[in-house]
Amino acid sequence: MLKKLVLTSLVLASSIFAANEVNVYSTRHYDTDKKLFKMFEEKTGIKVNVLKAKAPALIKRIATEEENSPADLFITADAGNLFQAKNKGLLQTTDSAYLNKSIPANYRDTDKQWFALTKRARVTVVKIASTTDKEITSYEALANPKFKGQIVVRSSNNMYNQSLLAALIEHKGEAYALSWAKGVVANMARTPKGNDRAQVKAVANGIGKIAIANTYYIGKMVNNKDKSQREAVSKMKIVFPAFENGGTHVNISGAGITKYAPNKANAVRLLEFLVSADAQKLFAQANYEYPILAGIKPSALVASWGTFKEDNISLNALGKNNAKAVKIFDQAGWK
Amino acid sequence: MKYFKKLSISSGILTLLIASPALLILVNILSPSSENWIHLQDTVLSEYIFNSLYIMFGVAFLTSFIGFSTAYITTMYSFTFSKLYHYALILPFAIPTYIISYAYAGMFDITGSVTMFILGLLGKENVSQVYFMDIMSIEGAIIVMSLVLYPYVYLISKTYLIAESASIIDASKTMGLNSFETFKRVIIPISRPAIVAGTILAVMEAVADFGVVDYYGVPTFITGIFRTWYGMGSVEDASKLASLLMLFVFTLILLEKFQGRNKRYRSSGKDFAPISKTPLKGKANIAAFILCFIPVFLGFILPFSQMMHWFILSYEDVLDEDFLRILIQTLSLGVSGSLLITVLAFIFVYNIRIHGHKMSEYLTQTVKLGYSIPGAVVAVGVLTFFSYIDKGFNILLSGSIIAVIFAYCVRFLAISINNYEAGFSKIPQSYDDACSTMSISENSKLRRVIFPLIKNSALASFIIVFIEIIKELPLTMILRPFNFDTLAVYSHELVGQAQLYESSVPAMFIVLMGILSVLLLAKKMIKD
Repeated sequence: MLKKLVLTSLVLASSIFAANEVNVYSTRHYDTDKKLFKMFEEKTGIKVNVLKAKAPALIKRIATEEENSPADLFITADAGNLFQAKNKGLLQTTDSAYLNKSIPANYRDTDKQWFALTKRARVTVVKIASTTDKEITSYEALANPKFKGQIVVRSSNNMYNQSLLAALIEHKGEAYALSWAKGVVANMARTPKGNDRAQVKAVANGIGKIAIANTYYIGKMVNNKDKSQREAVSKMKIVFPAFENGGTHVNISGAGITKYAPNKANAVRLLEFLVSADAQKLFAQANYEYPILAGIKPSALVASWGTFKEDNISLNALGKNNAKAVKIFDQAGWK
Repeated sequence: MKYFKKLSISSGILTLLIASPALLILVNILSPSSENWIHLQDTVLSEYIFNSLYIMFGVAFLTSFIGFSTAYITTMYSFTFSKLYHYALILPFAIPTYIISYAYAGMFDITGSVTMFILGLLGKENVSQVYFMDIMSIEGAIIVMSLVLYPYVYLISKTYLIAESASIIDASKTMGLNSFETFKRVIIPISRPAIVAGTILAVMEAVADFGVVDYYGVPTFITGIFRTWYGMGSVEDASKLASLLMLFVFTLILLEKFQGRNKRYRSSGKDFAPISKTPLKGKANIAAFILCFIPVFLGFILPFSQMMHWFILSYEDVLDEDFLRILIQTLSLGVSGSLLITVLAFIFVYNIRIHGHKMSEYLTQTVKLGYSIPGAVVAVGVLTFFSYIDKGFNILLSGSIIAVIFAYCVRFLAISINNYEAGFSKIPQSYDDACSTMSISENSKLRRVIFPLIKNSALASFIIVFIEIIKELPLTMILRPFNFDTLAVYSHELVGQAQLYESSVPAMFIVLMGILSVLLLAKKMIKD
């Protein structure tokens, strides 16, 4: 009898314990996220289990696990990844009055399957002393032959470049995008290599005049242990280009609840928490990203770069056009 | 005897199981050409093939040259610090390729610290004003990878040479050859199996590397695989690319087997006389010293000092309780994985030796394929494989430690098998024949004859695989369970959030564990 009692209570306890957790598959590996999950655990008593890997690998894993998948919430950088997950039927609709109210329409999925958490912009970076910024009137202008030998940018293997071109395809079509990519390749100061920070360092040290990089990298370079990065970035300023028919290219980090989420209610709570004022402040302060919640200010450093008009295309288009973008890069010879 | 029959069957089944994820990828070669595939053929495929071949030949040349020449002179001669070099030459192996590539870029790329220093000395503003080879190039990638991969050749050749040195000296004396002639006509042919075994491992690892070529901007099969998977969202076409690469590597292995068959040296069996090293003096002494110093300096001292610098600046922020958990998880994975692999590989290779079935030999070669494809692609194969098992038996093995360890077997058995193959090739068949004439049972032959002769290879395999596992990144990252991290994964995450300095802390622990294992191995080899 006693044995039975103990067993029953154990089973009960474990089921309660199991019910009080949420499983996150995330591609974001920032300390900020670790802190946020801890805050959530303290606030709600719900344990957050995390698995981090690259987005396509996680998407493949969720797809392979199917209804056995322990994943509740899929968090990733880049709208293209969210589109992929949605397109493969791995996400489900989330009806949350708070999310709908708090996140601007352009930064949540039309079918309510994913929601943005933060924003970043892909910009150009030039030397403070240079006057090149006056000439960078648009992203399209970067293909202008007058910039010959001036552009440094990372490989087109990188998702940020793919998203940028995907946006251009949405604005101007594939044929234009191909001629643009060819133009930029012709303007490159060297074959693409290194990460975004390496491009900024290159321009700071006299290789090329225009680097293409994401905004938060600039923040990370400013507050870096590596002296050469701090010195390099101190010579540089950000120029926010815009598409001729739109605004500055913005990408997001976002999240969606998976189709077979075993702890859906907890996942919704976590998602809402990540869009709460407290969480958004931390995103903005610690990671140099732009918060998604209206009323939360970016960090002082980020604010000092100035304001810009955000592009208005549907973010799902970035995912939809991504494969086309990769092929155009191949055709244009953008390594 | 019955027991050994069972061994043969179970070994066959195991081989098939372990080969299956690679085979699941390989079948994609038969899939019809999709639109994506035609695009690849039209645009970038030829460049992928050319660059991958260039890297394969470059790394093969450099690693076999550095690895064998240093193994040879440290075995046959004594010179200044030669005992120290015996250990030191293995050390670069403990440095992960992505670490050395970051360290070298930090020092030698167009804005690197060393580059800027030299430019300062010359009074130039930037590298466009001087002759300059950018380390971030395909040649740079070959050099950087070779610097940490040559110890494969060094280790396997060295184990081999120590055992063979007596016959080498005998043979050359009998023939009355001078030392250069001995080297060319005796030593190279004798050492061929060891050089080839080591070089193939180095080449397979180089061709499967993603970190270095991606960072250095070199388009290869591997960057192509990820670009196709991640960028075009097509796992199928990425798998097809991977299958093409596997076919490529497989052909190479078979060619070598086929072509090497006639040339293979048969051990005389007079192997185990103690080595008497020839002392070197004067110029020869200096030359030997420098020859060994260059790879140790470039492959270890330089990147290690850079890491140490980063480590000292940041260890306080990184070492905490959580770090201890990660350390323990890494160690337990490393030990259990490499133990299992070392045992399995022995069963496979020994099985071939006593039964000699062609089929099992081919299967074993198939098992090696896992090493030639990138970890992430192996992970796709393993995921697919376990999804069948999960559904078939209604369990959830994917996302468990079992899946991770299984995947290590798929990826790293090649290393262990190559080690044993080189080891077994120096045990003459006559030993087996003698055992059967004397009616020594299979069991006691295994215990009393085979095991003592092969235990060095087993130890080498255990240690090399251990280091590989603790360095391993993509497989572990994709297949691991929740809240489970390894040092390599942690280091990678820190790099990902631009904390290169902090990332050196977990990396330093990887390297230190690697150094300890390597020293243990070297010590054991010297004693025997």
